[in-house]
Amino acid sequence: MTTYDALVVGSGIAGMESALKLGDMGYKVLLVEKEASVGGRMILLSKVFPTLDCASCISTPKMAASIHHPNVTAMTYAEVDGIERLDGGRFKAKVRQKPRFVDEAACTGCQQCELACTVAVPDQFNYDLVARRAAYIAFPQAVPKKAVIERQGTSPCSYTCPAGIKAHGYVSLIRSGEYEKAFQLVLEATPLVGTLGRACYAPCEGECTRGSLEGSLPIRRLKRFAADTHYASESGPHVEVPPTNGKRVAVVGSGPAGLTAAWQLARRGYAVKIFEAAPVAGGFLRIALPAYRLPAEVVEQDIANVTAIGVEIATNARVTDVETLRKDGYDAVLLATGTPRSTPLGVPGEKLEGVYGGLDFLRAVRLAGTAAAADNPLADRHGKRVVVVGGCNVAMDAARTAVRLGATETTIAYRRGREEMPAHTAEVEDAERDGVRFSFLVAPVEVIGDTAGRVTDLRCRRMALGKPDASGRRRPEPIAGSDFTIPCDAVVAAVGMAAKGAVYGGGVAANENGTLAADKQTLQTNVPWVFAAGDATTGASDITRAVGQGRRAAHMIDRWLNGMPLADFELDSLLEVVDKNKVTSRQSAYARHGIHGGVVEGPAPAAALTFDEIEAPLTEEQARNSAGDCLDCGVCSECQECVKACPSDAIHLDMKEHVEEVEVGAVVVATGYKLFTADAKPEYGFGRYKNVITGTQMDRLLAPTRPFNTVLRPGDGKVPERIAYVMCTGSRDETVGNPLCSRFCCMYSIKQNQLVMGALPLAEVTVHYMDMRAAGKRYDEFYESAKAMGATYVKGRIARITEKPDGNLILRYEDIEHGGSIEEAEYDMVVLAVGVQPNRDAEKLFGIAADGEGPRSPAGAGLEFDEYHYVAEVDEDLSPGKTSIPGVFVAGTASGAKDIADSIVHAGAAVAQVAAHLEAAKKEAVA
Amino acid sequence: MSAETPTPRGPLAPAAPSRDPREIVREETFMRRRVLDVLADGPHTVPEIAEALGRPAHEAMFWVMGLRRYGWITETPGGAPDGYFRYQAVEREVRR
Repeated sequence: MTTYDALVVGSGIAGMESALKLGDMGYKVLLVEKEASVGGRMILLSKVFPTLDCASCISTPKMAASIHHPNVTAMTYAEVDGIERLDGGRFKAKVRQKPRFVDEAACTGCQQCELACTVAVPDQFNYDLVARRAAYIAFPQAVPKKAVIERQGTSPCSYTCPAGIKAHGYVSLIRSGEYEKAFQLVLEATPLVGTLGRACYAPCEGECTRGSLEGSLPIRRLKRFAADTHYASESGPHVEVPPTNGKRVAVVGSGPAGLTAAWQLARRGYAVKIFEAAPVAGGFLRIALPAYRLPAEVVEQDIANVTAIGVEIATNARVTDVETLRKDGYDAVLLATGTPRSTPLGVPGEKLEGVYGGLDFLRAVRLAGTAAAADNPLADRHGKRVVVVGGCNVAMDAARTAVRLGATETTIAYRRGREEMPAHTAEVEDAERDGVRFSFLVAPVEVIGDTAGRVTDLRCRRMALGKPDASGRRRPEPIAGSDFTIPCDAVVAAVGMAAKGAVYGGGVAANENGTLAADKQTLQTNVPWVFAAGDATTGASDITRAVGQGRRAAHMIDRWLNGMPLADFELDSLLEVVDKNKVTSRQSAYARHGIHGGVVEGPAPAAALTFDEIEAPLTEEQARNSAGDCLDCGVCSECQECVKACPSDAIHLDMKEHVEEVEVGAVVVATGYKLFTADAKPEYGFGRYKNVITGTQMDRLLAPTRPFNTVLRPGDGKVPERIAYVMCTGSRDETVGNPLCSRFCCMYSIKQNQLVMGALPLAEVTVHYMDMRAAGKRYDEFYESAKAMGATYVKGRIARITEKPDGNLILRYEDIEHGGSIEEAEYDMVVLAVGVQPNRDAEKLFGIAADGEGPRSPAGAGLEFDEYHYVAEVDEDLSPGKTSIPGVFVAGTASGAKDIADSIVHAGAAVAQVAAHLEAAKKEAVA
Repeated sequence: MSAETPTPRGPLAPAAPSRDPREIVREETFMRRRVLDVLADGPHTVPEIAEALGRPAHEAMFWVMGLRRYGWITETPGGAPDGYFRYQAVEREVRR
């Protein structure tokens, strides 16, 4: 455990002063600041009163000294999670270093990440007057001047994607008009951008936070938009491939897992060849998914991405012995052969003419092309009545294909109920829209044929649902004597798919269900140089999971071939998923521009059903509007633009927070204050009237690093001509629970009066006050100077502010010095001189007692707070800065409102006591 | 309102229909092209940009100032003789 003489919590002016003075005395100090820069609020000011010195000019030397002082260790973007008083009077503190996701040593503060970032959020350092980026440097004078990536977790859409696609990232890029970059971001995970843009089951949309409002974003279709936009002008992926590394990998199977693995490996310099048993590449994408969902040309475009970077694909190339591949010089083999076998019904009559396996049926149609008579599996069926048995996605595809082939009546028979169907809800609804009928709680018993051996009926038995089985779904149980027949001309058995088992030689083991036996994490089989991925090892799943498996397999093969350990490898370093409730609570209201995720325009009439693609693409306007609805759940979208833009390779999104325990001899609490939230005075209209701002906002408008080009109305950008100040907003006001004077509002308002009149020579400034508190050396002179410059001071409280249609504001007030009459005056802009409140974060430092009697440290010694919740100074008159815990001191506004000069003096007093305490402790230890 | 501030007494003025500032700020990258399209025919004031976008001026103010901060637009020289600055697009090669 690292030890220090003193811990200073907070690096505002009092904290910096404390740390520097202690450091100058020779004490080792740990200075902890929760923000990304030291400096507190003072650095955000325009100038200081009464000297009108530049706040930055005064602050920045202290800020720089704070992080460079040989005796001061400064931790920025860190928080003290708790302090415990130890026996003997020392303290143990837990300090949590929040991840910046930026290597401080490498970051040069060039701001390129910020300029490249695609997420805009309110800038807290400009009091929300303007946007900053999720990648940001706190402010121009930040010390250290290092970037931070604001991440509040992983966005639910990205977190849930089994393919590892950064969904939030590409949505954010499309929102910014960066369509090609969106395409490239998906390419980082898989070459199948157009395919997934159509055929993914879109778990991202199921998790979209907007789904709890008015419907999810159309995330899948946004991906399709990016793919369609790319392919409209490009035929290849346009990625750079490194020089070959001299190693060869064979991939068996060209479905989503195989293609993705080949893509990933080729992008790492491997020479990759895919062996495909079918006459065309693409696996299920090309031979099972119906063309109306996934046109062949889209799959071919995606496959062209793979071949464009040098991957060779051999079709009609069945692999029966992986040893042959090894002998041919391949360093590793990936088996990604899917689940090509249809599971039989297991009932009599299954061999009759007109009975098809689900996959066989779909494959025949896809390979034959269209519903042309000669190729139509249903061409010679009388009446073309089709029964599809099963409730999975393949059953839906088979039924909808049958409709398109001309079946006059298509029925899905499923042994459980609708709720238990494994098919995705959208696919079930689409089948219904196509005219497919559903018969639930029905199981086949026998396929009945005529004397010619052709199907005539399917005999079924009705079922009832019993208790849940191993899958969690209720088990179907037959109802005795309930048999009935469904007249039909064809039966499609879509009751399951199976892998091919141990048919690849080389001793590669398989499981009892025919899947290949591979480690779930490493995907390595019992033969070290053979890996297995996708449905071939998991059993039937879906395209997206297969893509994820292929991606994982590529990384594992790469590691294995480079002698790196496979176990404990973290493929995607994800933060915890963002709490959706926290996301929705960020805003008070929501508006919607784009379309909802699940919307498919206009069900087509059955007569018009063809194999042409059903789903319409998003227009550019729809895409951008829809992407614009993204809530940026995790704040950072992980679009990777900052990573690419950084010239120093300083950005590492896999950084983790770490907690450090330190032992210190004394603690200085310098946690500062919080500003009064002006909307708690609703009669002043802050938050509703756009030209009512706070004094701190005005200070930003007057600062050299201001958010606007000059002092402007936030409501419309007008240069204000008549500006009113409303004093004591939230101070000396029992109605908001704060009877205290905030001590510096009068003076900062007077300062601003002078600065405004300097910046806007034609502006009239009027201050509505109860009494001006300008006590102190040169303070009253400063006040008189403002009057002499032309500022008007009107004694009397403001009763109410109302807004005119042009944004001007009517102040209703009492004019005490002119007979107490009630008057009204019109202004362009109103500044609320907001007061301060205690920063109750200080209460967390030493814990809170379970008995509710107030804050107590775990060791039992209490840090006391006064009745206003400021840190109590137990001997304020004679020992300022001394708290209720020996060894703990308070500096600056954590104990009550103070201006800058008084905060520095107070810090000095606290430091003197810290030194005395440390010296006494040393003597005690010696004695 | 912060946790430290008690609920104020007395009647509240009816809230004007208004969007959450966080939402408006978030739309800056999304509105960029539209704002730049408006400025394609020359410099405009914030109210003029807002009118062209069909959005309130205070929303346009967020977008204009955000785009100004990150170098997409700038005010024209010559100040604000009629009380409003005019803003123009900055030549950039990257996509809007």
